Amino acid sequence: MRDFILKRVAAVILPFVCVYGFYVIFHGHISAGGSFAGGIIVGLSYIAFSTIYGIKKGRAKMPDKVLTWAESFGTLWYGIMGMVGISRGVPFLANKLAGVDLGVPGALFSGGLIFYIGLGVGIRVASTMITIFFTLMEDDRENAA
Amino acid sequence: MTAVIADNLPAFVIIVPLFAGVVLPVFARRQRLVEGLVVLAEAAGLAGVGFLAYIVFTHRGTDWVYQMGGWPAPWGIELTVNSLAVFFLFAVMAVSLPIALFTMGNLKDEVGSNKRTARFYTLFLLLVGSLAGMALANDLFNTYVLVEVATLSCCGLVSSRGTPRAAEAAFTYLVLATLASSLVVIGIGFIYVTTGHLNMGFASQGLAQAWQDRPHVVWLAISFVLVGFGLKSALFPLHVWLPDAHSSAPSPASAVLSGLAVKGYMICLLKFLYVVFGPALMKEFSVDRILVLAGMAAIICGAVMALPQDDLKRRLAFSTVSQVGYIYLGFGLMDENGLAGALFYLASHAAIKSTLFLSAGAMIASAGKKKISEMAGIGRKMPLTAAAFTAASLGLIGIPMFSGFIGKWYLIAGSLDTGDFLPTVIIIAGSVLCAAYLFPVIRAMWFETPQKAKQESTVQQECKTAVQHAAEHMPAGPGVPREVRVKDPGAAQKLALILLTAVIFVLGVVPGPFIELARSAAAELLMLR
Amino acid sequence: MKTLLEKLIVNYPYFFAMVLFSIGVMTVLTRSNLFKKLLGINIMGSAGYILFIAAGNIRGGTDPILHQSDPGTVYVNPLPSALMLTGIVVSVSVTAFALSLIIRLYKEYGTTDARRIARMRNEVTKSDSSDRG
Repeated sequence: MRDFILKRVAAVILPFVCVYGFYVIFHGHISAGGSFAGGIIVGLSYIAFSTIYGIKKGRAKMPDKVLTWAESFGTLWYGIMGMVGISRGVPFLANKLAGVDLGVPGALFSGGLIFYIGLGVGIRVASTMITIFFTLMEDDRENAA
Repeated sequence: MTAVIADNLPAFVIIVPLFAGVVLPVFARRQRLVEGLVVLAEAAGLAGVGFLAYIVFTHRGTDWVYQMGGWPAPWGIELTVNSLAVFFLFAVMAVSLPIALFTMGNLKDEVGSNKRTARFYTLFLLLVGSLAGMALANDLFNTYVLVEVATLSCCGLVSSRGTPRAAEAAFTYLVLATLASSLVVIGIGFIYVTTGHLNMGFASQGLAQAWQDRPHVVWLAISFVLVGFGLKSALFPLHVWLPDAHSSAPSPASAVLSGLAVKGYMICLLKFLYVVFGPALMKEFSVDRILVLAGMAAIICGAVMALPQDDLKRRLAFSTVSQVGYIYLGFGLMDENGLAGALFYLASHAAIKSTLFLSAGAMIASAGKKKISEMAGIGRKMPLTAAAFTAASLGLIGIPMFSGFIGKWYLIAGSLDTGDFLPTVIIIAGSVLCAAYLFPVIRAMWFETPQKAKQESTVQQECKTAVQHAAEHMPAGPGVPREVRVKDPGAAQKLALILLTAVIFVLGVVPGPFIELARSAAAELLMLR
Repeated sequence: MKTLLEKLIVNYPYFFAMVLFSIGVMTVLTRSNLFKKLLGINIMGSAGYILFIAAGNIRGGTDPILHQSDPGTVYVNPLPSALMLTGIVVSVSVTAFALSLIIRLYKEYGTTDARRIARMRNEVTKSDSSDRG
């Protein structure tokens, strides 16, 4: 019963924290914040969930495999987005030069590729934070295995 | 398709190893696939560098500046492909490919589980990618970020065996390397405050104009950068972390750390000193003298400290401290011959030290013995490995026909050009000391016979301790060898050793094109061209 | 001609950066507790951040988000802040890695004091070599 209030409050707040994290990731190019800050917030919402509800429950929601895939392909996504420029005959990571529509300044879709790159980086950061948390929490697992 | 790849080759050389590295953990269970991907990425890197050199020296003639994202210089990030970059890229790829080959199949015995193997390869490829980036980057802050990536990968490689000893060495290394990074980043901060530019060319122009107004800030920047990179590349008084870190890592990691990682930081320092600050400022703040003095101290002290070491890998690690001294000595000479010799010596030492560490690792893994005094007669049981070790040792000492000789020859020529005889004497004395700490190993391997009675008891004990050691540190039961059979390693390992020895021979017998490349890099750095 | 003190007051962020850096270096080099060493590393990092961000600041400038309505606005230089974000990422990774190493060492030796760890390690190697000899 000791954790009752904590658990109820967390149940209400954490989804919003997670959504806010994604908001920060997506709006990185038009306001303060960005994919690193947003990714930290997303990871943090999940880390808070694991600390409040117990690591086992947290683990069950986010298996190793998903984490590894998210980490690897979040980074690979960045590379793929960089290739968009190359595929159109301009340098790596080119944005406007590659003919991507930049949109209206101030609107959400106004950075061309930056929005998509930010998504990849955000996923990578969030999954890395969670991996670091689990590594620090349960260091025995690997030594025992 | 070819045209697209050729146009973006500088970017590909960096991103192929980096992205191949980050994808590996996904395939951790499928060992063969991981190894294949690593070797493929390495081979692609080597081919890319060869193609890059071909393009630069046939079609363009001048430096090739690649603009990331298509943004021009003061705002965008540039990659510059010049002689120095091509030279160092060749060294990195030509040495890391055999190291990757050497790890095929037997890495699990060194580091433990499949997951750890994948992690090792990830760090290895990240290190190779960041070294390639260091060679190409023409931007101060990018260099810092790449240095950090390399540092963290190195620490991960040091601790990849998972023993407490390795963890301790990795922690010491991490603390000192991060201290060095802070020094470097503050040095970059001073340059940025003074000039307002992070691009190397623009910062150099800014410094040339601004340094007389603010000599103290520039002096601080130059000393912070010098100490930072000196600490990272184990310049003599700052080498304390190196022996522990390099000797407690798994052998392939030791090879890549001693052979390549240290060299990457030296190339960074070289670019900072010669490209950003420029030869004139270096002379003004007598950085050249500091480098020569520190280099001479490193040559003698490193070799003297290597002499009493009985642990083979520790002796090789101290030898790295000594050899780093030669390269810094050449950097400080500020002479075309000396600088070309230093660059050539850098590449030759990368190949030689990797061979030494890999063959030493093969001998240690096969015989279960770490100490030189216990290696008597091992040359007859593992002829190829011991031959590679011997060839590399002769190269390190500087016997003609091996690569070390050419490098030392040019270093001596450079030091005689400057009219100072002390460096010449020190270089020759260093070679004698180098022979003094390497010949006993060769003698023990080939010419000493193991004493029978004592040998048996030691072998039994060694078997016991080896098995105990294995049982403690390698939880994977089936991989543990039940009996110690001393013989040459597998085909991939043999191929790797033969490749590296071939590199040493080729550099020693036909040094022409490589020394030309080094000379043109030196001329570029000294702004003679 | 400004006096030294005036220069110092005008450029106080740089002064703070240097003080922080010295504190960090002292902590790293003189403390034997691994956690304190790690804290020292982070303090040193912060000194770097302050140096860069102070260099990018323009007094009276606003946040560098493009307001199209007002062309005369003075913006703070966003580049150093962006660079330092990278620096923070690096520092986070270093901290995480160092923490995992500290945990590993603590599990093995039961202490986070570098000197005691070194002493225990030396004893272990000594007993090893005496067994063999």
